[in-house]
Amino acid sequence: MVNEQNEKDVFVRAYTAMVLSRTFDKKIVMAQRQGRIGFYTPSIGQEATQVGLSMALDHDDVIFQYYRDVALMIHRGVPIEVILDQIMGNAEDESKGRQMPSHYTAKKYNFMSVQSPVATNLPLAVGAAYALRYQKKNTVVVATFGDGSTSTPDFHAAMNLAAVFNLPVIFLCENNGWAISLPTEKQTKVEISEKAAAYGMKGVKVDGNNFIETYRATMEAVERARSGKGPTLIDAISFRMGAHSTSDDPSKYRSQTVEEGSEKDPITVAEEQLKSLGYLNDSLIAKIKEESTKMVNDKFDIQEKIPAPEPSTMFDDVYAEKNWIIKEEEDDIL
Amino acid sequence: MVQALNSTLDHIMSGDNSVILLGEDIGKDGGVFRVTEGLQAKYGEERVIDTPLVELGIVGMSVGMSLMGVKAIPEIQFQDFIYTAFDQIINQMAKMRYRSGGGFTLPMVLRTPYGGGIKGGLYHSQSGEAYFAHTAGLVVVTPSNPYDAKGLLISSVESPDPVIFLEPKRLYRAAKIEVPDEDYRVKIGEAARPVEGDDLTIITYGAMVPTVLNTVKNNNLNADVLDLRTLLPMDVNAIISSAKKTGRVVIVHEAPRTLGMGAEISALISERAIEYLYAPILRVTGPDIPFPYRLEDYYMPNEARIMKAVKRVMEFR
Ligand SMILES: Cc1ncc(C[n+]2csc(CCOP(=O)(O)OP(=O)(O)O)c2C)c(N)n1
Ligand SMILES: [Mg+2]
Repeated sequence: MVNEQNEKDVFVRAYTAMVLSRTFDKKIVMAQRQGRIGFYTPSIGQEATQVGLSMALDHDDVIFQYYRDVALMIHRGVPIEVILDQIMGNAEDESKGRQMPSHYTAKKYNFMSVQSPVATNLPLAVGAAYALRYQKKNTVVVATFGDGSTSTPDFHAAMNLAAVFNLPVIFLCENNGWAISLPTEKQTKVEISEKAAAYGMKGVKVDGNNFIETYRATMEAVERARSGKGPTLIDAISFRMGAHSTSDDPSKYRSQTVEEGSEKDPITVAEEQLKSLGYLNDSLIAKIKEESTKMVNDKFDIQEKIPAPEPSTMFDDVYAEKNWIIKEEEDDIL
Repeated sequence: MVQALNSTLDHIMSGDNSVILLGEDIGKDGGVFRVTEGLQAKYGEERVIDTPLVELGIVGMSVGMSLMGVKAIPEIQFQDFIYTAFDQIINQMAKMRYRSGGGFTLPMVLRTPYGGGIKGGLYHSQSGEAYFAHTAGLVVVTPSNPYDAKGLLISSVESPDPVIFLEPKRLYRAAKIEVPDEDYRVKIGEAARPVEGDDLTIITYGAMVPTVLNTVKNNNLNADVLDLRTLLPMDVNAIISSAKKTGRVVIVHEAPRTLGMGAEISALISERAIEYLYAPILRVTGPDIPFPYRLEDYYMPNEARIMKAVKRVMEFR
């Protein structure tokens, strides 16, 4: 938690994570163009939302994240190497190169495992919260997802269940204005935060471009959850500055953009805030950016040398023990 | 194949204004694989609908539209994301005619890309055809080339029964072949025989067809190749007559082996032509594991694996 003594450190650390995430995303998008990476979903534009969320959480809190949460992972301490291993699908990847890039698992950091079908993580978060309360743990469970995900049956089911059982869950909608080509106003007729009322839970709308505001709103939700006052839906408004993914061409469906470094860029917002608080100055900013670039480039080159997983590993972990079917197929294929 | 599907949809829509397309990102964006490119600009937002992100709703709405005489052609962006709509497919789409005593029928075609080979990992590579082929009331088709894609799509839209139209996404951008401008139909329930031969029968469909044809060519096999095209109902006559002719059968599909289409094909042959067989019927399929990302090449059936099975059936005594 932030207090007067540690505020500077905490805020500078938050800023550093945002910059590192941005640098990382740009590097990976570039590497994808060079054919060194298969696919990627950058978080560009959502760094403040993700870092603000992370700042409010403890290590023991459990996160059912989605495929666009690199700033969240970085701030929570997941090493860049771990993230790179997943994206490269190499032999050191926690999920053994089985998942498409951006689908992380980071068990040690209480990040659950990312799936592609959107919002299917939400009911899981509700179940996890029920279990943790039953086990008398004072833990909060967070699910992240996009604005598009609020249209799904899973969203409805999860919201309703969390409210009915009054569970310590935070639903954090990373509302970046777009679900691939569909703008949020065509996704839903109401503000996403207003949906909470229909389920009987607290709903808040927050400026997701402002990490301090997102942090404060999340902190309130965390306190509500820990004190048994139930779930919260947070609608964190930002803008998807990049393409949906490296396979997407946004010029086909939108003319609106937010330029990097403009006043709507969450990193610019953070710089202004921290400069006016006297925590950052231009030379410190330059130093943080330089260090991020070097770190990302160096680590990328190192991780890129790690080979693919052994072919036999693809037959593991379907079950605790391989059944005869899989054994037979493995023998046939390898 | 993308081009053929796109121009056929265009053609169908221009000739029949009861046709409506709906799905995620199909309008302005033209679909994530560009199958519906340009159609919203041409036919408007009322006929080419960019829906919110809800597969269950897309299929349910399509059933409702079709009940009222609109021919709905929903797209599910990836077959892997169809499962929240499964209830609508299995319990509404497939059962409407039966439960209304034939009174309500659904002239709808649900299009969806399926299969691997594009580095899509667990959730952009699935081959779930057996789920649908296990459901009475559905028709299930899958083209393996642009020509069949057009002919099957026209037949599907004209079909009085609801069709699951599975598009092998690996072939979307594969070899371009000329597709005639005029209307033609590929009959539902009819397999194609792209290569004729006498030594053995290879039965396949979808994305595995080019793999099988290349294998046959590269190894000078005297094989009878069947491209099923329709998975429900399968062309039992083509299957049985070919099995009787050659007496040796290999089945190739990308979907996992257990209870895949190969199991049904093999059972049909065992029931109807076992006395003609010189060798066991072999299946070359994807393994019974989720579809992996980095190691996908090991998942996909390939020439070496097909030849291993071919040799076994040819050398069997
Ligand atoms: C159930 C499901 N349907 C379709 C897709 C394909 N798809 C991937 S991301 C996406 C848009 C998601 O938008 P949103 O929830 O706003 O998240 P964002 O990508 O903007 O962060 C779609 C349609 C999917 N992953 N899951
Ligand atoms: Mg979004």
